[in-house]
Amino acid sequence: MKKTFFSAFLLCALCACSSSDKTEDMTKPEITADGEQTCPVDCQQFKRGSVIPFHYLLSDNVELGSYNIEVHNNFDHHTHSTSAAECEIDAEKAPVKPWVYNSDFDIPQGQQTYTAIINIDIPADIDPGDYHFMVRLTDQAGWQQLRSMAIKIVE
Amino acid sequence: MTHFLAATALLCAMTDTVIDIEEVTITDHTVRTVQTNTTLPSIQLTHDYLQQNFSGSLMQTLQGIPGVKAMSIGSGQSKPTIRGLGFNRMAVAEDGIKHEGQQWGDDHGLEIDQFAIDRVEVIKGPAALLYGSDAIGGVICLYTNHIPTDSLSGAVQLFGRSNNGQLGASAKLGLRAGKLFCRANFTIINYGDYKVPTDSIQYYSYYIRLKDQRLRNTAGLERDGSLMFGYAGYNFHSDLRVSDSYAKSGFFANAHGLEVRLSDIDYDRSRRDIDLPYQWVNHLKVLSHSSWRNNVLSVDVSLAYQNNRREECSEPVSHGYMPKPDGSMERHFDKSTYTANLGLKMSLAEHNLNAGVNTEYQHNRRTGWGFIIPDFETGSYGAYLLDKWQPTDKLKLNAGLRYDFAQTHIHSYNDWYKTPVAGGDSVFKQRSADIDLTFNNLTWSVGASYETADWVLKANAGKSFRIPIPKELGADGINYHIFRYERGNTQLDPEVSYQLDVSAYWANKVASIQIEPYLNYFPNYIYLNPTSLYEEGLQLYHYTQAEVLRYGVECQTTCKITRHIDAELKGEYLYAEQLSGEKKGYTLPFSTPWSADAGLKYSHKRHGEGSVGLNVHIVGKQDNIVPPEKPTDGYWTLNLSASHRFHFAGSSISLSLHADNLLNKRYYDHTSYYRLIDVPEAGRNFAIMAGWEF
Repeated sequence: MKKTFFSAFLLCALCACSSSDKTEDMTKPEITADGEQTCPVDCQQFKRGSVIPFHYLLSDNVELGSYNIEVHNNFDHHTHSTSAAECEIDAEKAPVKPWVYNSDFDIPQGQQTYTAIINIDIPADIDPGDYHFMVRLTDQAGWQQLRSMAIKIVE
Repeated sequence: MTHFLAATALLCAMTDTVIDIEEVTITDHTVRTVQTNTTLPSIQLTHDYLQQNFSGSLMQTLQGIPGVKAMSIGSGQSKPTIRGLGFNRMAVAEDGIKHEGQQWGDDHGLEIDQFAIDRVEVIKGPAALLYGSDAIGGVICLYTNHIPTDSLSGAVQLFGRSNNGQLGASAKLGLRAGKLFCRANFTIINYGDYKVPTDSIQYYSYYIRLKDQRLRNTAGLERDGSLMFGYAGYNFHSDLRVSDSYAKSGFFANAHGLEVRLSDIDYDRSRRDIDLPYQWVNHLKVLSHSSWRNNVLSVDVSLAYQNNRREECSEPVSHGYMPKPDGSMERHFDKSTYTANLGLKMSLAEHNLNAGVNTEYQHNRRTGWGFIIPDFETGSYGAYLLDKWQPTDKLKLNAGLRYDFAQTHIHSYNDWYKTPVAGGDSVFKQRSADIDLTFNNLTWSVGASYETADWVLKANAGKSFRIPIPKELGADGINYHIFRYERGNTQLDPEVSYQLDVSAYWANKVASIQIEPYLNYFPNYIYLNPTSLYEEGLQLYHYTQAEVLRYGVECQTTCKITRHIDAELKGEYLYAEQLSGEKKGYTLPFSTPWSADAGLKYSHKRHGEGSVGLNVHIVGKQDNIVPPEKPTDGYWTLNLSASHRFHFAGSSISLSLHADNLLNKRYYDHTSYYRLIDVPEAGRNFAIMAGWEF
């Protein structure tokens, strides 16, 4: 009796092992350039008090979630792995009034691709210098993609 | 050389002092499931085993047991998991009392003096019947209450570890005068930054270069002490133990805090100092145990007080609407736990009845500028009845029932700074609401074991549960450790788990085979789900409940090739799938990949006892993942261990060496907390220990 029970149990376990045809989304969404309109790109310069006309193509194999844009200073010369370019960089300095921008954005439901266009105002009184422009994107499954661009704010 | 694995006559809740020990002699490096009275798979490790297999820390040593893993959490520390379940889904008990720290946390270790431990029992499978909430995956029972037999006995141990330059010393002393006894333990440990075989790591898209392949600021120290007094009579036994364990360790400086930032602190000036960010934990425990027995009846009373204080400090920095705080105290928790257990045991012909009540009261207070869990008080009360019935010599049956009731009061918490809201106003945002919750649960278990001369067959079925912890209920904020926004859920039900375990064991004089499959179903597993939303600039993770099916198997076979050479082969496999909810079809986070071990050991008895063993540890690829994990490649490591014990004039000197990852392979452990930030596991490491026992 016990042996039968044991064998049945083992069989169940083994059968279950073989059913590994996964259909779940295992792919992260993507943040890609959209031709000449792409903005910002690495090493791009912007004036204080002007606007960054953010323009990127967001895509996912199933369905997009939402995205976030964050800007922080790089006065301390840290680096991000998604930023391939080596831009000319100012000397290290201590922030006085650094620009901090952090905003979440929705994407309409059911989209596999979405062109994100946002005009971001650069305050006129912030520290000029090197900044990192970060884009974070999720898909409906909860995967997250990051993209980072090095930009410079000038007077 | 052989060693003794003691087989318990009772389940693990009983203390060392009341157990009838039946010794089973087995080959040296084999960790074998004890095949006697308990029908649950359980394993006993003696003091000798722990010493001779010392591999740097207790958790590392316990990894030799199939189904048990040490999940590394940084700073060279690790947390236990049993069959893939860790944190609040398993319990650690010291002398029968559940250890209560901040188990939910990702980054602190056992908070127990591992060198004071006399023996360890690991129960694989639901042990809710005796331990109540949390013991879903099993229990690691640590015993520190061995009664000294000689009027004076003691030991001194010195140990070190090459990877993080760890140095440590531990001493113990036992005194016995008639029926009175006393024992004392002291341990100090100091270690430097941890070394990994890589020059840079990538954390949250940042590139971080490492100096000399060391993880900056992961040095630490530990100081433990305990004192125990007791009376050991024939019918009556009573003891009182006071212990304190203090640990301080740095957090990996480049991967902690509100945002990745460069600090003015010169972390690279020394690899042994502890700079900000760091944490310290102090665990004070007062434990009293008394028992009275005659031939039919025994009564046990355990009373315990535990105080766990934990503080995390980091450089103050403004974030979002939070201005730069004063001081470095980011989080401080002060948790007190009061436990009272009463147990009765009665022998009636073929029946052994076991009944008891457990009560526990927890009180947790927080301070500091960072919020992650609210203040709370929890009272829990449980009562159980267990019958072990032995109708024939070969057959043993058991059945038990337990009822638990718990009340949790969570306090409200508002930010200490104002956040603008719609309409131009600004408020102290509420992060946690004032809530009162009650939970109750009925758990049960049934089991049978059947023994013949060569075979032991066991089967168990049981239900266990876990009360949602205040972090799961009331968290609402940024988890600074891992860059995500976590939101609790006050609607959570107690997590319930049903498990079926089967075990078959066969042995003759030269070989043994053991196979232990299990099937585990959760109707409402509490899961922190990564959503597609952003909150305050970070991805929102939300606590939900989902149906989960898990199953797995552990196998082990041993063979005595010659009088001196033993071979061993063992392996484990685990599968988990979410059957409902937003992540239906996905696995659970940190799913353990399959693994196998092949080992050869040479042992001899020249000038004492000695052994040398070589082990190949193979781990499979894990591509069954859930966001935000990455698939992890398989790997293998070569490990060596050697030990020797010399005897002279009533005392002994033992030496042991454990060399891990001899080939200095660079690999990732899928179940490691650091896997998410691409920190590989430790490179080549030698752990040595020298001990003198008298």
